[in-house]
Amino acid sequence: MHAAPAHHLFSPRRVIALAHNTLLELVRLKVFYFLLLFALLVIGSSIFTVKFSFQNPLQVLKDVGLGAMSIFSWLLGLSCTANLLPKDQEDRTLYTILAKPVSRFEYLLGKLSGVFLLLTVAVLLMSAMFAGVLGVREQQEINELTLSTPPELLAQAVAAVHAAAFQVSLIPAIALILLKALLCSTLTLFISTFATSSVFTILTSVVVYLIGHVQGIAREAWLAGGEATAFLKVLSAAVALLFPDLQMFNVVDEVAVGTVLPAGLFWQVSGFGVLYIAVYFLLAQVVFASKEL
Amino acid sequence: MIASAISIRNLSKQFQVPFRREPVHALQDISLEIPAGEVYGLLGPNGSGKSTAMKIVLGLVSPTSGTTSLFGMDSRQVESREQVGFLPENPYFYKYLTGLETLLFFGKLCGLRGTALNDKARALLKTVGLSEAADRRLGGYSKGMLQRIGLAQALVGDPRLLVLDEPTAGVDPAGSHDIRDLILQFKAQGITVLLCSHQLSQVQEICDRVGILHQGCLVAEGRIEDLVSTRNQTELVLENATPAFLEALATLAQSSNTRILAQRKPHADLERYFLEVTRNQA
Repeated sequence: MHAAPAHHLFSPRRVIALAHNTLLELVRLKVFYFLLLFALLVIGSSIFTVKFSFQNPLQVLKDVGLGAMSIFSWLLGLSCTANLLPKDQEDRTLYTILAKPVSRFEYLLGKLSGVFLLLTVAVLLMSAMFAGVLGVREQQEINELTLSTPPELLAQAVAAVHAAAFQVSLIPAIALILLKALLCSTLTLFISTFATSSVFTILTSVVVYLIGHVQGIAREAWLAGGEATAFLKVLSAAVALLFPDLQMFNVVDEVAVGTVLPAGLFWQVSGFGVLYIAVYFLLAQVVFASKEL
Repeated sequence: MIASAISIRNLSKQFQVPFRREPVHALQDISLEIPAGEVYGLLGPNGSGKSTAMKIVLGLVSPTSGTTSLFGMDSRQVESREQVGFLPENPYFYKYLTGLETLLFFGKLCGLRGTALNDKARALLKTVGLSEAADRRLGGYSKGMLQRIGLAQALVGDPRLLVLDEPTAGVDPAGSHDIRDLILQFKAQGITVLLCSHQLSQVQEICDRVGILHQGCLVAEGRIEDLVSTRNQTELVLENATPAFLEALATLAQSSNTRILAQRKPHADLERYFLEVTRNQA
């Protein structure tokens, strides 16, 4: 018999082992096939904008690409997270893991980290596809301009095409798309700690997602004009506290039309996202720690 | 004083059921001590509270009252599980992992790594007879192979205590026999085993002591010989006894106020016969 290694209350190695295993699980479940849909959508819209759109095709492509990236990363996070805990409990693998010297905090953190890794890889892959399609379209635009534009105007026209193509300014927008997906995944994990079924988890998460997108607008409408009753004020404060204001992440839409995201706003939205991730994770831990397995 | 491998004191567990005022009493004031190195069988019909008791011992469920400790450490503490290996009933491990990957994963959770972990995993695969299937995914494993990989993962952290919930459920007689031999091997190595099983003949064969749970109460507990022996009877198995010898024995018994209750040819154990036949065919 070997001597047992000294036990540490928190071990990053155990969390990494769980995160790696979760990532492996999701990859071997072939969730990345989901990204083929994204590729088809972006490539399809690239062809569509050439043939049918009257707007700047690169602009339309950026709108579609960023919007699709946002939806796909959210859906991927939701579908991967909703079943993580229930499946482990149903298959009793949760018992086998927690019967080892693994705390529930480490287990939950490891699982969530695995989803975070998957989403990060997925968003990077989508970004690469997106940049690739934009690059091809940009080159086609420049080739067409070279044939159709007078030489004295060519440099200016090419510069305009470059400005409408993939720019470094898109990177903060992509980072916010990833952060929003991470936030929604953590929320889904929290719901799954007390939900009785995966269907309930998914539906509740979708409802919270929708509320998160409209609560900012509703709050402004309710409180506008100073006629709000005390009840409405309390209600709007409670909604704002419980549900993340996902509308804040819509700054990405501005980036798509060429606006450079101010650094202050980027850090403000990022801080808000990280704060909600921390709060939802801690809530998940509180519920999971006292759960009878 | 050496601490018991498992110490359960006045353990009770109640579950609140939705829409019912009265809680369900899963365990009621259970106390028992399992010394280190013993093979202990926890028996009982379905719903008697065996799984709840095991889950409390492993810290997966909190007791309503009472305490449980493993080698003197409160079993609610994560550190207490450093010395425990657990095989749940009908284990479904991650199907996408191979046998080797499964052991490496659980080994990492026990704090092992590198070459030591790799060597340990391969040695365990050999112990449970799965070296050939090391690189096959568990999705393709048979029921018996899953039980054996389950045993291997329970052993990966070099535990001093093994908790086995129905280790031979659904396994064919040959596989069941192999698992029984492994448990006896663990016992020889000084590992304490807490075994839950409905296969009473096997329990009788390998356990030192048993406890019987019924409706959440420990209704019997002790050494198997003490529990099942009929105190005023003795069994003799004779070889090559002639009819004359048997007649003389009967006369002797009669003269000394002893009754011979039964005289029959002993039957071969069906499991042993099955194994002989199938192994000869192989």
